[in-house]
Amino acid sequence: MARANAEQHPATGTTMVVMVGLGIAFLLFMAFLNVVKSGNILSEANFLFAALVFYAGAGALYLGFGVTGIDSYIKYASLMTWAGLLANSAAVAHRWYEAGHPPFASIYEMLLSFVWTLAALTLIAEKRYGVKVIGTVTMPVAVVGVILMQLLPSEVRPLVPALQSTWLHVHVTLAMLAYAACALSFALAMMFLIQDKVKTELFLAATSAFTVGIYAAVLTRFEKWGGLNVIAWDAQNKAEVFVSRGVRLFVTIPDLGWLMVLVFAAVLAPLVLFILSRVQKNDGLLAVADRAVFISILLQALALVFFLVRVRGGQYPSLDADGLYATSLAASPFILSALVGGIFANLLYLLLLWRRADLERLLRDADALDRITYKTICIAFPLLTLMIAAGAYWANRAWGSYWNWDPKETWAAITWLVYAGYLHMRITRGWRGRRAAYFAILGFAVVMFTFFGVTYLLPGLHAYA
Amino acid sequence: MASALRSVPRKIWQTLSSIKTGVVLIILVVIFSAAGTVILQRSMTDADDLERAYSPSMLRFLDSTGLTDVFHARWFVALLILVCLSIVAASVERFPNAWRFFARPYKGPDESFRKVLPTQARIAIPGNDEERGLSAAERAFKHLGLKTERIVRTDSFSLFSERSRISEMAVYIVHASLLLIFTGFIVDSLYGWRGFLMLTPGTSSNQIEMKNGSLRTIPFSIRCDGTGEETYADGTPKKYWSKLAVVDGGQEISRKEIVVNDPLVYHGLRFYQASYGRTGKLDQLILEATPANNVASAPQQISLAMNQTVALDPDTSVQLVEFIPDFVVEDGRVYARSRDIVNPAVHMIVTSNKANSSANVWLPPMPGIDENASSPYTFDPKDLKTGTYTGLQVSREPGQWVVWAGVVLMGIGLTFVFYVVHMRFWVVPVRNAQGGTLLWIGGTANRNRDAFEMKFKTVVEQIQKELKPEIVAAASVDATTISRITMAGR
Repeated sequence: MARANAEQHPATGTTMVVMVGLGIAFLLFMAFLNVVKSGNILSEANFLFAALVFYAGAGALYLGFGVTGIDSYIKYASLMTWAGLLANSAAVAHRWYEAGHPPFASIYEMLLSFVWTLAALTLIAEKRYGVKVIGTVTMPVAVVGVILMQLLPSEVRPLVPALQSTWLHVHVTLAMLAYAACALSFALAMMFLIQDKVKTELFLAATSAFTVGIYAAVLTRFEKWGGLNVIAWDAQNKAEVFVSRGVRLFVTIPDLGWLMVLVFAAVLAPLVLFILSRVQKNDGLLAVADRAVFISILLQALALVFFLVRVRGGQYPSLDADGLYATSLAASPFILSALVGGIFANLLYLLLLWRRADLERLLRDADALDRITYKTICIAFPLLTLMIAAGAYWANRAWGSYWNWDPKETWAAITWLVYAGYLHMRITRGWRGRRAAYFAILGFAVVMFTFFGVTYLLPGLHAYA
Repeated sequence: MASALRSVPRKIWQTLSSIKTGVVLIILVVIFSAAGTVILQRSMTDADDLERAYSPSMLRFLDSTGLTDVFHARWFVALLILVCLSIVAASVERFPNAWRFFARPYKGPDESFRKVLPTQARIAIPGNDEERGLSAAERAFKHLGLKTERIVRTDSFSLFSERSRISEMAVYIVHASLLLIFTGFIVDSLYGWRGFLMLTPGTSSNQIEMKNGSLRTIPFSIRCDGTGEETYADGTPKKYWSKLAVVDGGQEISRKEIVVNDPLVYHGLRFYQASYGRTGKLDQLILEATPANNVASAPQQISLAMNQTVALDPDTSVQLVEFIPDFVVEDGRVYARSRDIVNPAVHMIVTSNKANSSANVWLPPMPGIDENASSPYTFDPKDLKTGTYTGLQVSREPGQWVVWAGVVLMGIGLTFVFYVVHMRFWVVPVRNAQGGTLLWIGGTANRNRDAFEMKFKTVVEQIQKELKPEIVAAASVDATTISRITMAGR
């Protein structure tokens, strides 16, 4: 069996197992606490914890494969995913029953539905399309999703009038399915590039560029003397604090800005080293770049921990109002997702770096992956179309106009056009292989911008909702 | 030489109908739409926010190029129209061929076609009996749910079977639907409008306030019979409702209680529940009045509207003369600080006819101002109903049905494009070099080629089964050759 090349760090393999073990122990402890607290076995929280433990187990096994290369890990990981999906379905059913509406009305509920969809898609991809390693990507995301849910307000919120419509369920379901299909096509396109023998250092450059982009976006909230601006949170009403209609109140967490700048430099280093290695034609710099990635992961984790700690405890001043205000993770879902996403992407790169030969053995051949990517987009595109149509019809019933060119709508249309472009290029111009894969990746980047960027970055320019 | 003969209109047409042009136009639409979300737009931003965000020279530049109102700028509309034209041109250019292909099925494949078809197979017919081969094939197709027809050739028959020929037209259906949507959108941009109508209960109006401040008269009136709001226990809004009636030509035509997401529709105009609020004026004051000299007696419940007088007993009456939503006392007088209902106060005059006296009663009591002590009745306020108004969004969208028709058509078109496959099979009896008779089987599909290969294999196996039912299928494998000539591209 081909072992990984000399860049493997045996010491890190043990570290990863220990970290995963600690993580599962922590989660089980939280589960125990919760059962003791509520005294109630069949509660939504318990179902969710069960799902979490199973997803964590599955994720650990997938990542364990990444470290050890043992194939049977994948089989057991699959079983754990099934178990997690069952528990998750129970949680969804419970929530639906309690709330009286499908779980789409708050960010907590959206995460619940999203995590369920992720698990379901993982199993479909494995069984239907034979893409066995996709759990390496989806299960950690599911775990992060469930953990995020624990930090968010989970009360059943009644629907405000604008959301009291069947079209809410139709539009949101379609959106979730469409975005999930796009995410899947992205993962498949990445796998194709791996099988198409794209050089590992190019993945290094892409991952590094992506992380740089994330920290650049976070740094748009940098305050002149080193603080980071986050939205204030009113713990009483469980809502963001507004200065006036549509204008949110920002508080400045001191020094967090400097930390983000430091981490930005750390994530920029691998990219710079990659560029240098190309310019100077020095492959030795690539090894340095890989070490830089490893260091940047540690620093990113540090940034995440500091962010969590500072946000959860303490009151901070604001430039727009007197007094001190509290904030909460619920007020900064995008920064949190960005930090976690960055760590996750870099970990995946390390998986590729250390286990490329095993991945190539386990994945299907490039041709098959190319075709499956196309098929996934053939599912995503009609879903996107229906999502936009349902959204337009709903807007028409609620506000009297089906198209307003507002940023969210416009970017949804742009996403649609990009995937239409992919289909045109593939069907009429015969684009296959790498060009098609890059196009699929571009499409997903636009989906991510529509989902995150529009809400997080664009209002930052406009200073209103 | 030949290019010099190509006329300019022909060249323009070629460019317009090319896929490259289409993709370039899509890219341009994407770039400018993205710009319209990043650059502040006048239609969605207050003027002072724009002035704060951009320097005066930058703002002048953005305004003059239309970048502050991208989606209504002439050049953007022209770009969208160009996209439409390119779709039309591309479709018109390719449609005749597609139609020819669609309308005239190729039922009898000739030798050159048979030689190069990528998916084909040959089966030896036992006994070289052509008819046996053909009927076996017919039974096989029937078993698989495919219809066949016999095609007459010079000296024999052949079989032809196809499914879902409409799939060849699918892409044109999709593009036609896009054009429908665009048309509806343009009609609405030109002939549609949106406005606002504010009504208080009991009033009616036929004047709609447009965005630019002008008023538009509609041919009928809307009367508000009531409006209200319901909240959940924690104060979050649960429901905004308005009871509306349509009055046309002096006659009440219909009534409807509308809520958010459920508008009133009449003669192409739609009235949406958009907002709800309080006017700050008093509607009704509900109090309990107890005689001052007999505190134990049962209180009377009375309700007063502004300036209304109510008799408390044959001798005494009370009139509501003032309502202050947010009061403040200054220099011995009661003033209104604002119009928000924060600190309400009411001023009533209690008149005794016999004693011919009146007392100024203030609630809450205002020391030094009120004459509550000399009033024959004491009052206990129970409820304050203030005026409410309902804000209705009014819109007219004549093109929306075209848009929805386009959407439905696109759904159908996309289903056909992705999921309905045009399959064709041919079975032709041929002679091999030794003079034996074989069945040549060929097939095509316009998409999902890998799934089709499986289907083709099934068809061939089924025909084999029908030909030699008494011999185990495995033994006949060597008599069959399934050949596949791989060709680049399609």
